Parts: sequence; structure tokens; C-alpha cells
Amino acid sequence: MSYEAIALTMFGGMLVMLLTGQRIFAAIGFVSATAALFLYGNGAIEMPFNAAFKLFNWYPMLTLPLFIYMGYILSESGIADDLYGMFHVWFGGLRGGLAIGTIGLMVVISAMNGLSVAGMAIGATIALPEMLRRNYNKVMITGVVQAGSSLGILVPPSVVLVLYGMIARQPVGRLWLAGAVPGFLMAALFVLYIVVRCKLQPELAPTVSREELDMPLKEKLALARAGVIPFLIFFFMSGLFIMGITSLVESSAVGATAATLAAWHKKTLTRKVIESTLRQTLGISCMFMWIILAALCFGSVFDGIGAVRAIENLFINQWQLTPWQVLIMMQLSYIVMGMFLDDTAMLVIVAPLYVPLIISLGFNPIWYGVLYTITCQIAYMTPPFGYNLFLMRAMAPDEITLTDIYRSVIPFVLVMVLSLILIIIFPEIALWLPDHFYAR
Amino acid sequence: MPRIVVNYVKYIDLISAFLGRVVMYLVFVMIGILLLGAITRNILQMPLSWTVEMAQFIITGYYIVGGPWSMMMGEHVRMDLLYDHFSETTKAKIDVVTNFCMVFYLITLFIGSISSTMYAIQYGQRNFSTWNPSMVPIKCIMVFGIFLMILQAVSTLFKDIAKVKGIQIS
Repeated sequence: MSYEAIALTMFGGMLVMLLTGQRIFAAIGFVSATAALFLYGNGAIEMPFNAAFKLFNWYPMLTLPLFIYMGYILSESGIADDLYGMFHVWFGGLRGGLAIGTIGLMVVISAMNGLSVAGMAIGATIALPEMLRRNYNKVMITGVVQAGSSLGILVPPSVVLVLYGMIARQPVGRLWLAGAVPGFLMAALFVLYIVVRCKLQPELAPTVSREELDMPLKEKLALARAGVIPFLIFFFMSGLFIMGITSLVESSAVGATAATLAAWHKKTLTRKVIESTLRQTLGISCMFMWIILAALCFGSVFDGIGAVRAIENLFINQWQLTPWQVLIMMQLSYIVMGMFLDDTAMLVIVAPLYVPLIISLGFNPIWYGVLYTITCQIAYMTPPFGYNLFLMRAMAPDEITLTDIYRSVIPFVLVMVLSLILIIIFPEIALWLPDHFYAR
Repeated sequence: MPRIVVNYVKYIDLISAFLGRVVMYLVFVMIGILLLGAITRNILQMPLSWTVEMAQFIITGYYIVGGPWSMMMGEHVRMDLLYDHFSETTKAKIDVVTNFCMVFYLITLFIGSISSTMYAIQYGQRNFSTWNPSMVPIKCIMVFGIFLMILQAVSTLFKDIAKVKGIQIS
């Protein structure tokens, strides 16, 4: 069999297995184990387990359960509800205000958490039911929650940029700062989209009645106190890390502690909250870790057949592409692969090859990290096979179907592509902040 | 279903549930160890070399031994593009078939873990670092966790078979 045929068979097999509805980790694991045995003989039976040690050595993965824990503490203890309440009152009067408020909530959550799953969990359980109750269009608001949660890996802290930093050998502090402005830009574009859309189709987003929002200015300002806790958590977690006081994994532990203390201060840290946080943390962490475990095995089998080197040869020698064309082809290939693969697995397979190529072509690796993250997030959200889509299905209220979710992401993906293009044309959007901060 | 199968499902589920309840507290242990590292280095000026590595061991035990619990709880996400539209019986029928694929994957993991552990015991394998800890304990924990994962997958298979037959066994 030719390399292309093997690659196609592996991807095809995975697709079929995924479509049967088997657990994702088992589907990917089965295809990789079978392919390993078929391609490399009996000795390859150790490949699935070897992936476990690759995962072991990726010590930044430690931030994963801690960020998940933190996300659940924030939502279970009511800290996220308070925040949502603040945005609700402040923006509720505007047309589409609750959707705008949700984006605001997501920005704040993103600044406290390095994964998109936390924002999605909070958005799907707090903001979505509230907006559904007020007859917001369900397709639009599902898209809002998904788009908003994608900011989680762009606004510092970010687990994806950590992994990118390890592979590309770039300082994580710089990468985090580089993600900040693009994250805010993207949030602003989302808001702009919501405002324009609701102006054109007012029936999508009924306004909240005046009486409900009518409260003395003093009370409105009191709500702003909900914003103090996130700021403190952000400072202790990302601030101490960027200043070089805590190491990366330590900073996630500091963040988890800060969130726990905040819940304790709010007097909502009950046994029940702790219990359900720990349960959900274990569930989501196991789900992620087992998928990554299986995907890592898939990655090494795939890498072993030399499929990736063939791509380099194809780009540079056969197609004679210019550097910019190579860059665009890479982004496109990420989107195609991201429809099937977990982004960490994608990082393992492709980044070790792409990043040196990017640097040798004269592009800035920090800037590329930001492009990489946004592209991954787009890939994550592109139907039919995006991991975020399935997570969303798992978390959203039952009345939101997978078809709704598919339709909902389209406009937001277009907005994300627009921000990607803006950052490609104006690299300063990403590079200004880290250059400015570290120049001093 | 035969009594022995019913009992098997019952006891395996009990074991998975018990282990899940135990390992879920490991989050606190990880946080504690990492904070200890940050505090001793910054405030007491005496850096500890083992904190991050210890946390790595713990997270490995956390997700491997927590795996059976999360499978029992149905936490492992599925791609439900088509799956969602099937009836409960059809879902169970498909699962009966594809669960064999899951068991196959878990068995390859298990064989790999055994041979890796044998190697670690035979050559006294240590992690290459300042702390230089033995790799034997964590590998034994992984063998244990993956074995339980197989037992839980088989229990899940029995449950799906029962569902196809229209009986409830758990």
C-alpha cells in the first residue's frame, strides 16, 4: 500500500468508528492499535502504552485537571452566576444585550482559565438556559457560547499555547501576552456581529423589560463587586507567572487555590459543591486524558509512516510554494485535520515539523503560535467533526440539537477567520504587547 | 442473564465506584504539592526538586485509575451525529459490537503496560531527573488501572447485551 492509501485508510477507519457512536477514546485507540499491528507487526503492540509515557512527560498537562477544577468551582459556587448577573444588568437593556453580556462573561472566564471547556460549561449551564427562557433565538445563542468559550485558549492563561511553547521552544510568558490583544479583538468582533445581527433581525433577541433592570445606580455598582474576585484570581495566577515568581504548573495550582478561597469567602464552599466539583473534574479530566492518550498513539503511528514529511516535500519541492502560500496551506491543513483530531494530538503530529519550517521561512514563532491557536479553535468548531461541537452537545440543554449546534457556529467561524486574516496582515496585533512588556 | 454475570457487573461497578471516589481527591494532593513547591522556593528559599515530578505521577494515577469510574458514569464523550437518532435498543446493539473494539484497544494497552513494567523491574528503571525516582510503582499502578478498565469495559458489554435483551441488570 502507498503512504497515501495507508493514511486515507487510517482516517477513514477512524471516521467510521467515530460514527458508530463508540466512545471517542476507544474509537481512536482501536484504529491506532490495529494500524500499528498491521503496519509494524507484533512488536508494535507496545505503541498504545508508550503513548502513556509521552503523556507522562508532558508535565504541563498538569494544568488540565487544575483548570477544570477551577472552572467547576467558579460555576458551582455561584461566582460565575454573580458575574453573569453583573453583565445581565449592565447589558440587558440593549437589544441582544444578554448575548453581548455572555461574550463579556466569557472574556472574564478566559482570563481565569486556560481551557475552552470551562467557559463552555459555564456558558451552557448558566447563560444558555437564561437566554432560552427569554426567547432568544437558540441557534444564535448556541453560537455565542461556543465562540465565546473559544477565547479561553487565546486570552492568557492558555493550555494550548503552553503545549505550543514546549514544542516550538518558545517562552510561554511571551506567548500568553501575544494571545491577549487578539483575544480581545476577537471578542470585540463577536460583539459587533451580535449588535449588527440583532439590529437587522430584532426578533432574534427580545429585550429584557425595563422594570426588571430598573435599580438604583448604587445597586448597579454593587454588582461590580462580582468583578473583583476574577481580577484577583487573574493577578495571582497569570500575574505571578508572567512576573516569573511561580512556574507554569504552580500557577495553575495557585489559581485553583484562589478560586477555592474565593468560594469559601462567598460562604458557598459547601460539602455538596466540593463533592460535585471533584466528581465533574475527574469525569472531564479522564475523558480528555484518555482521548489524548489514544490520539498520541494515533499520532505516532501516523508519524511512523512518514506522512508528514511527505507534506513538506509536497509544499516546498513539488508545488514550489512561496513562504506565504506555505503558511496558508498549513493553516488549511490544520483545519482539515482538526475536524478529526484533538488539537493536542494535532500539535504532536504536525507542529514539530511545521514550526522549524515556519522559522526557516522567516516567520515569527510567537506570532505563529497565536495563528496556530486561532486556527485550532476554528478547526475545533468546524462541522461535522469538531470536538467542541460534541462537548457542547454534551453540556447544552436537551432542546438544542446537534443540527442547531452545527448551524450556530457558521457566522462565528467566519468572524474568527476574519480575525485570523487581520492578525496575518497586522502581526503587531499579537506582537505589540509582548515586545512592549519584555523590552523594558 | 446468568447470576454470575449479574454479580460480576455488580461487583465491578462497586470497585470502580469506590476507586473513583478515592482518586477524585487527588486533585487536592496535586494542588498541595505544587503550592508547596512554589512556597518553599519563593518564601523559604529552599527549592524542592521533586514536586512537579511527584505531581506527574499523581495525575497519571488519577486518570488511569479514574478511567473505569468515568466509563461507568458515561463520562466518555461519543460522537453522536448518527448515534443520537437511534433507539435505545439499536444503540445497545451497536455498542455490543463496538465494545469489542474498545476491549481490543485496552488489551493492547494492558500487554504494553505489562512488558514495560517487567522491563522497569528487571533493569531498575529510574526517571531521568534530579530526583531520579524509580518508575516501578507508577507502572504497577498503571497496570492495575488498565486491568480494571478492561474489567469495566466487559461489565459495560454485559450491560449492553442485557439492554438488547430488554432486561435491566444494574
